Amino acid sequence: MSAAGNGAMSATGNAVPQEKMITFANVSRFYGEVLGINNVSLAIPPGVTSLVGPNGSGKTTLMNLMAGLIHPSQGEIRVLGIPPEEPERLCRAVGYCAQFDAYPKGLTGYQFIYSFLRMFGFSHEDSDRRTLESLETVGLVEARNRPVAAYSKGMRQRAKLAQATAHDPQVVILDEPLNGLDPLARAEAIALFEKWGKMGRHVIVSSHILHEVDRISDQVILLSQGYVVAEGQIQSVRGEVKDQPMQILVRCDQPGQLAAQLFAQGKVVECKLHTDGRGLLLRTTDADAFYLLLNRIVMDTGLVIESIAPADDDVNSVYQYLIGGEGATI
Amino acid sequence: MNLWMRQVGGVLRLELKKTLVSRRGWWVYLLALGPVGLSLMHWLMGMSATFGHHSIGEDSLVFAGLFHFYYLRLGIFFGCVGIFSNLFRGEMLEKTLHYYYMTPLRRELLVAGKYLAGLITAILLFAGSTALSFLMLGRHFGAAYTDYILHGPGLSQFGSYVLVATLACVGYGAVFLMSGLFFRNPMIPAAVVMVWENLNPFLPSVLKKVSVIFYLKNLCPVEIPIPPPFNVMVVDADPTPFWIAVPGLLALSIILLIYAGLSARQTEINYGE
Amino acid sequence: MAVYKKSYRPYDGGLTSSWTRFLVIPRFAFEDMRKSRFLTIFFLASFIYPLICSLIIYVQHNSSALNLLGVQGANRLISINATFFLNFLGWQSMLALFLASFTGPGQVSPDLANNALALYLARPFSRVEYVLGKMWILIVLMSCMTWVPGLLLFLLQAYLEDGWTWMTANSSLAVGLFFGSWVWIVILALLALALSAWVKWKPAAGALMFGVFFVAAGFGVAVNGVQRTRWGHLFNISALIGSVWVHLFGADPAVNNGGAFFRMPAGEELPLWCCWSALGLLCLACLYMLARKIRGAEVVR
Repeated sequence: MSAAGNGAMSATGNAVPQEKMITFANVSRFYGEVLGINNVSLAIPPGVTSLVGPNGSGKTTLMNLMAGLIHPSQGEIRVLGIPPEEPERLCRAVGYCAQFDAYPKGLTGYQFIYSFLRMFGFSHEDSDRRTLESLETVGLVEARNRPVAAYSKGMRQRAKLAQATAHDPQVVILDEPLNGLDPLARAEAIALFEKWGKMGRHVIVSSHILHEVDRISDQVILLSQGYVVAEGQIQSVRGEVKDQPMQILVRCDQPGQLAAQLFAQGKVVECKLHTDGRGLLLRTTDADAFYLLLNRIVMDTGLVIESIAPADDDVNSVYQYLIGGEGATI
Repeated sequence: MNLWMRQVGGVLRLELKKTLVSRRGWWVYLLALGPVGLSLMHWLMGMSATFGHHSIGEDSLVFAGLFHFYYLRLGIFFGCVGIFSNLFRGEMLEKTLHYYYMTPLRRELLVAGKYLAGLITAILLFAGSTALSFLMLGRHFGAAYTDYILHGPGLSQFGSYVLVATLACVGYGAVFLMSGLFFRNPMIPAAVVMVWENLNPFLPSVLKKVSVIFYLKNLCPVEIPIPPPFNVMVVDADPTPFWIAVPGLLALSIILLIYAGLSARQTEINYGE
Repeated sequence: MAVYKKSYRPYDGGLTSSWTRFLVIPRFAFEDMRKSRFLTIFFLASFIYPLICSLIIYVQHNSSALNLLGVQGANRLISINATFFLNFLGWQSMLALFLASFTGPGQVSPDLANNALALYLARPFSRVEYVLGKMWILIVLMSCMTWVPGLLLFLLQAYLEDGWTWMTANSSLAVGLFFGSWVWIVILALLALALSAWVKWKPAAGALMFGVFFVAAGFGVAVNGVQRTRWGHLFNISALIGSVWVHLFGADPAVNNGGAFFRMPAGEELPLWCCWSALGLLCLACLYMLARKIRGAEVVR
């Protein structure tokens, strides 16, 4: 992911042509005098992209702009090369699941999905097949003839997901899709997002459940007060946060000796012995230099390293470093 | 079938389900079915010997009064406010309009589909109610009333009333669909339109023509004068001929709908949160 | 668990008495109302007519003021009697209808639309208290517009007339003003809340409030026309209340035919018990509607 116009790389590292990306070029949106988003330039490649930010940071505005539900005050948006001013083309490519727990009154789960498929122009047979398929995907086939209003919150959320994806869109925009889902349903939904992402779809998700976002995201967009604070693959973003020492967990047989060596070389600012006595949690300002040093220590001392893993290159940590300091809440 | 026809069909199917068979619309049914119940009662009571005697002519005048003062000024007017204002504004309030806007359907077609659904509902309710009331009001006269309808002026009156009720739904429907798109609170334009329509008899003849009721009144087969003391303030205007009134009203409605369709393209989904 | 046991302290302060707990709702609702400039201006404007009436009463008893205006003998043209007070009540009650239509629908509908009713009813707060609390706002405002200034005018007239003698001789006027206002207030408040509970969209509930008065009255006229009867007036709430007022004021129905906007057409008057019964039925219907909708949870089948 990169600023619009510069091209982008997919999660697998391949270059992605413009017409397969969602691009924002200097897009701003104001609600009267209130800022929605300001001067956003993005190019989002296929895969799962998470929008992360506190309430009022502009996540929903960004999603609504992508879906063509609101228009930018300035700038240009393209979704797979389609401008949002052409809803007849855009809506075939985009499925949108809004954050609101709202449904047309008096419809059953089946009617809810089937009715809107008919508006896509699908025949009865095709709409029926797609409806049942999407209901099956979210596990609502049994409940399909009950009114949506009588569903539990989790079921309604799943019905919304099914409705948003029943027409098999290339871009799926999901605003707080995990809200109201129980852990099992949440795991299933996340698996579904991952599957869609791996199929080459764009899955744009906003969520407050950061550790789950972290698990599924190929890339993240961090927003704060209408500005894009950071964007890209989470590890790269973490690497760019130079002012926060990186946390690394090293599992080894002699953590005390390793800590002494590291401090002697001055490459770490903090070390904590793991509670089980077989690991070291350390903080370094120069990760590259630290890894080189670690190699040398291992070769010199014969230390047995079980594993080395960054401990704070997740969305939660990046969020805390970049946004949390502003007193924002999520 | 064309893609757009299938799409409009899809809108129509969903909207009819929501508009025609809606528990929330109970008061619209009540508005439409009230006079039917009244006429039915009149029929049943008319058959009893104790009911006062009156002529078919008197009943026809009574129906004209019912049509002018109840159907046109209250029933169809408020019914159309309820049905058509709700088509877009109601979806906005329910936070469900985005479901429609996320379908690959031209906004103009969405407006057309919703309008058609509202129109079918309104016509079924109000033109149907007018027809039923007319047919039942004089039913107690038996064969004489059948003769009045088939061989007298009854059939033409029946046709005129149903046509006027239909045209009222067409005209008011277009007005209130548009107001539902433009105003957060469509009751304000509804109140303004109502005052304007009710002031119509007292307006100068030029201004009279900028209203729905003026054309509809001219199409009614029986004229009902304004009762005293207000009759002294009535300004007379030349009635508009049928061939201008009907196409004129339809043209006005189409212009409003086209404008609503074009505005719908620019409408943003912002539920105010 | 032990941590919670140690740290959790249930609230042990004083509770609002259960008798006055419903007043918690109006406390905040009045604040909300004050924020609406339109409602504030409308409410203040509703005191213009009582002020004019008080001036009329004053002038009627002050011949020097009349002389000053050069209209000697005009006091003989002004009569402070049942008609005067009926017109006062009629005008103020019309304004109360507008106020109820503006403020009433906003009372319950937002709570229902946002599923907030459960928040109230999860507290030691019953459905009756909730309805009473919501009604209280309307009751206070409409009282300020109707019987409070009405009784003040009555006292002013008594003070300027023969004092106690006039008061005892015309006590039926005070009774009419007080109870007539209360009947109207209760009907309006119940209707506004019932419609607000059934129609979650505020503007629609307000429109329906007007509809109940005007469309129903129109339908009543249609009933009279079609059935050649006068019983259609049973649908005309304002005419029904007008008849009740005439009775409460102890006035002559032939001379005093309701207040302004509340007249039953001459010669088409209904028996008094029918008017009372119809109004009673309306109140019962409103109570039923409220009982159906004011619930902690909505069950959809």
